[in-house]
Formats: sequence, C-alpha cells, structure tokens
Amino acid sequence: VIELAYTRATDAADAIRSAQDEHAKYLGGGTNLVDLMRETVETPSALVDVTGLSAAIEETDGGGLMIGAAARNTAVAEHPVVRARYPMLTRAIVAGASAQIRNMATVAGNLLQRTRCTYFYDTDGSRCNKRSPGDGCDAIEGFNRVHAILGASPACVATHPSDMCVALAALDAVVHVRSTSGERAIPLCDLHTLPGDRPDVETVLRPGELITAVQLPASAIAAHSTYRKVRDRSSYAFALVSVAVALELDGNTITDVRLALGGVAPKPWRAWRAEEALRGRSATETSFLDAAEAELADARPLAGNAFKVDLARRTIAAVLQQLTEGARR
Amino acid sequence: MAGEVARGVPSHVSDDLGAIEIALDHDELRERMSGNLCRCGAQNGIVDAIAEVYAGSGT
Repeated sequence: VIELAYTRATDAADAIRSAQDEHAKYLGGGTNLVDLMRETVETPSALVDVTGLSAAIEETDGGGLMIGAAARNTAVAEHPVVRARYPMLTRAIVAGASAQIRNMATVAGNLLQRTRCTYFYDTDGSRCNKRSPGDGCDAIEGFNRVHAILGASPACVATHPSDMCVALAALDAVVHVRSTSGERAIPLCDLHTLPGDRPDVETVLRPGELITAVQLPASAIAAHSTYRKVRDRSSYAFALVSVAVALELDGNTITDVRLALGGVAPKPWRAWRAEEALRGRSATETSFLDAAEAELADARPLAGNAFKVDLARRTIAAVLQQLTEGARR
Repeated sequence: MAGEVARGVPSHVSDDLGAIEIALDHDELRERMSGNLCRCGAQNGIVDAIAEVYAGSGT
C-alpha cells in the first residue's frame, strides 16, 4: 500500500497551493503517472488532481487556438478547427496510444509523460540514470532498438514517447505555465531538455509549476500538414520513427516548411537543419533526401538501432513527397 | 466506439479529417478496436461480430 494525499484542485491557484510539497505531483488522466506509481518508479507524497481545471479549446484573437491543459487528447483531435487548420495535430494524436487512453489522457499530461524505456521501468533489475541518477544506464549496452539516435548522452539514450508533442513542436506551440511567482510562456521546443549528465531532469519547469494551457499560433502553412508514424505494429505501439511536416510551395519551389521528428530523440525533435536545407529548394526527392541527411548528420546510433537513421531519412523524404503531391492535386 | 463514429471522430485510418460521416469498414473497425481493452479486440471474429451487430443497430 502506498500512502499519499489526494486532493482535487478547484482552480489553478488552488492546485499550485496544494502542490507545495516538493514530492507532490499534478495528476491528469493518470495514463502514465499511475502506471509509474504501480511500478514504484514514481513515489509522490501527494497527488493534486488537475482534471477539473480548464479543458476549454478556444479560438484566439490572432487566429490561433488556446487549449486548456486538462483537455483530453481526443477532444483536441476531434476539434473542427484542429482538423481543418492543424491536421498534423489530429493525425499525431490519433496515431498515439488507444482510443480509451486518448479519452483519458490530458494535454499537459501528454507533454509531461515519461519515457517508455524498459530499463527505466525495471526498478528491480536494471540500472537507470533517469530513475536513480549516477547509477548507470543498462540500455546503452543492452537492448536499445527503440532508443535515441539524436540528442542522447553517455548517461541516457531514452526517447520521449509522445506523438502529439512532435506535431506541437512543428507547429511552434507555446506552453503557458503558472506558479506562486507568476505566469510565463515557454515555446514547446524549449520545454523539454536534453539529458546531458542529468537525465532525471526532463523539462525547464520549476518545482510546483503548473501547465495551464497550450497555445497554437495562427499558421497558414499548418493547414497543409500531416504526420506519419512508423512502428512495429500498425496500431497501439510507440513510434520507431515519426515525422510531422507542414509544407508551402510556390510552383515547385519550397517557400516554407516545418518539420519535426519523434521516436529518435530524448525530446520532440524540431528538425531546424532540415527546414533550413529545404527553404528555397525545388520540391524533388533529391532535395528531400539532402535535407534529411543534413538533419541526421549528427546521428549516433547504438548497436540495436542503426536502422533508425535510414528509416528516418526515408520517412522524411516520403512525407515531403506525399505533401508535394497533395499540393499539386 | 460506436458513439465516437456517430460523433465523427477521425481515426488513424480515416482518409478525410473533414468527413462528418465515417463508413465503419473493417479497417476502421480494426483500428478503433485496437487497444480497446487489449489488442485482441481487433481479431477477425470479433471484428465480424461487431460489424454484424452495428449493421443491425439501425445507426
């Protein structure tokens, strides 16, 4: 039996007040945190249930969208504005988990879910620097087929498991957070940190800071976007490689592009280098593959996941080709 | 699942995200039942049974 306090927050201020203890955790849909507690990876002193906070999805004055942190994943995926103006986000969400999990999981919880590295979960048998800093990592010399090829460190090679966050990274989403010292806004691309020598630290959030909303800026390019996920089963499996792309063409010239990768890095991976390599180029397979090469130049595959480099290269090119053909129709 | 189809919630295998009506063919059924309790929810016999009941439900 795990002894802990449970409180249901009535609003953001109440939630923040209730989570003053350094071992308190905010609870969303519980689809990851409760599993982690069962495995004793997470041992919070208190749970502050924030599912009663804003789940509203509202259009903003500038033509974007403000999504309350407690909005369920399904509510975002099925929202008519998301489907029409940010299709990659709907595609990413419905590619993740299962219908039941998506109906429970919240937006903020999706952002803060933890890796599914099996060594991280194996509290009895494996060393893990993310779980017990300084103990070592059994994945680096172990079964690392699903692990990171970009952004990892000698301390940790775990990947961030989210599909939704990959689309949010490509869409330049902004995360609104609040604490006793006020409010701030953090670009989604800056929310998650790389492991370095502190893989137990995964975000720039300060102790007790609460995610209140995720904002999608207005974006013309986002209407022409998609998400492709490559995995071992066609459904209900985490990504080996996933790609979110938005593409804008003038004739056959790429005028603008947004590209992010999932399944390959410790955080949702915005492919800035690939984007830079694509702007102004003609929309041809050569350009697509060149851009993928530029992004993957620093890839450091492990013994079990070298296939991911080529898989990422080909998937990036294939999705760019798919959007190019879609634009010509 | 039937409620989500009636509501027009797209799935991973839906081609048109703007579609209001979803044809619940076997691909849609498999995808939507996958992970529903467990992966066996998308077995052939179960998919056929759901299709039969769904067709007879008048929705």
